[in-house]
Amino acid sequence: MRNSKLKAKRSKILSLFYFLNLAFFGLFMPQDEAFAELTMDANHSHIKIDFFYHGSTMSVRGTADPGVDLIIKLTSPDGHEVLKQKGKIAGLLWMNVGSLNAEHVPGIYFLHSTKKIEDILSAEDMERYVIGYPALAKHIQMSPVANEEEKTKWFNEFVRFKEDSRLYSTSTGKISLTEKDGKGNYYILTEWPYQVPPGTYTVTAYAVKDRRVVETAQSSITVEQVGVVKTFADMAKNNGALYGIISIVAALGAGFGVGLIFRKGGGAH
Amino acid sequence: MYLYLPVALTSINILIPVGLGLAVGLLSGLFGVGGGFLMTPLLIMFGIPSTVAAATDSNQIVAASTSGTYAHWKVGNVDFKMGFHLLIGGFIGGLIGVQGIKILRAMGNADFVIKMTYVLMLGIVGTYMFIESLQSMKKARKGNEVSLTESPVKESAVTKFLKSLPLQTHYEKSGVTHSALVPIVFGGFVGILAAVMGVGGGFLMVPVMVYILRMPMHVVVGTSLFQILFNCIEVTFLQAYTNHNVDFILAVLLLLGSTIGAQVGTVFGRKLKGEQLKIILAVIVLVVTVKIIFELTLTPSLLLGQAGGH
Repeated sequence: MRNSKLKAKRSKILSLFYFLNLAFFGLFMPQDEAFAELTMDANHSHIKIDFFYHGSTMSVRGTADPGVDLIIKLTSPDGHEVLKQKGKIAGLLWMNVGSLNAEHVPGIYFLHSTKKIEDILSAEDMERYVIGYPALAKHIQMSPVANEEEKTKWFNEFVRFKEDSRLYSTSTGKISLTEKDGKGNYYILTEWPYQVPPGTYTVTAYAVKDRRVVETAQSSITVEQVGVVKTFADMAKNNGALYGIISIVAALGAGFGVGLIFRKGGGAH
Repeated sequence: MYLYLPVALTSINILIPVGLGLAVGLLSGLFGVGGGFLMTPLLIMFGIPSTVAAATDSNQIVAASTSGTYAHWKVGNVDFKMGFHLLIGGFIGGLIGVQGIKILRAMGNADFVIKMTYVLMLGIVGTYMFIESLQSMKKARKGNEVSLTESPVKESAVTKFLKSLPLQTHYEKSGVTHSALVPIVFGGFVGILAAVMGVGGGFLMVPVMVYILRMPMHVVVGTSLFQILFNCIEVTFLQAYTNHNVDFILAVLLLLGSTIGAQVGTVFGRKLKGEQLKIILAVIVLVVTVKIIFELTLTPSLLLGQAGGH
């Protein structure tokens, strides 16, 4: 499913992003509203998946101009996904009828905003920055879809599937904004679901004023397997034959072992 | 307590796989089935990707069936000769079945054909076993007179034909004599269907052994587990080697329950009569059939799913 070339390219781009972030700690966008100061700090820029990992929490905080609204987007680089489509056969039976190809799909998409997005941002900027499901619907390309109606239907199904897997979510009003010494501070604490696979993810904060994005700041999050989890995952991927043999031998050993214990313990029939 | 599964890429409460293992292992020890028809959908329900669920289940069955075969072997309920002949057939059948899937896929509508075959097979096997074991339980209650007079007459044309085949072999443990071709051909038939349907085939193999090979139910259970063990070793290896879908940690959690379940099942099974075992298995098979029919006819909650599984 994943293309290693694409991955390498992605990680190059992302490390560049990361470097820029370190250098500037907050990327300034060339917007006419001068002097704004949007900064961001994600508390967990490196999430380690160990044996006992059950998801994590993620807090993003920073400063913003007072009077702006904020949108925080957590996402991953666009990829390609193939999903099975269920449909009715003979007007009666539900089963897999084909597959849906989706291009430019972010693996995760968590969107938080201070107010309802449609109320604070113009359609134009929503589309430009891929903010909100309607914008995402235009961004993602799906095939086969015969017409707009079908595209909408399958996009909605796609979002339901992703939300069910806890890889997409949206919230309004979870970001807290406080003002101190003429500066605005924002803060959000969100859940980082364990369903999110290892990878590199981007957090972007958008400062919004007069229905336009006036500033953005970005940071990245790396989710990585470590220790035993990494050892098993790597072995399963890179040394399938040995991994298979070990799995089989362990199962045989466990089966015999338990058999022996029961004979000793059970004794009489 | 939660553990992270490195291949399934998800976290699971360890009580779930251990409990599922225990329940399905119990069924293995009792009826000589792998239990994949129950385990795989349950794992998917608990958030394991479908491809990983199926592959890991076969790894787990290696452990459960080793435990079960060992327990049955101790009490003399494994017919190794019969098991070996069934395996030869099953292996050849599996190879043919895999080609069969390719042809079906090329023809299109493969999922429809596969699902329908599965439902029909489950339904027919479950109904037949249910009716037959109910009748023999009634007969047993009336006394042995009827069955004593009836059984010699029952020799049908099919039985005669089977007796006329070459390579007549006596299977001591089962107390039956057949041409070696019979288990090989029927093992092959089950192998083809199992490969096409993507299931282990225990629920088909057990009735074949009971009704066609005329083996006693308790030997059927032990021998079925023996041949399931070898099938699942092969499947586990192929899944790990070609698809990288076996989650070792999940398999260990499952087998913690299933190896013990298989032992307990064997002990319980010895306390039940052959007919009682058959009728319970028939009921389970019928319940699974009904469940699949519901799944096929009710609108699913999600119209999209991961590619790769059933």
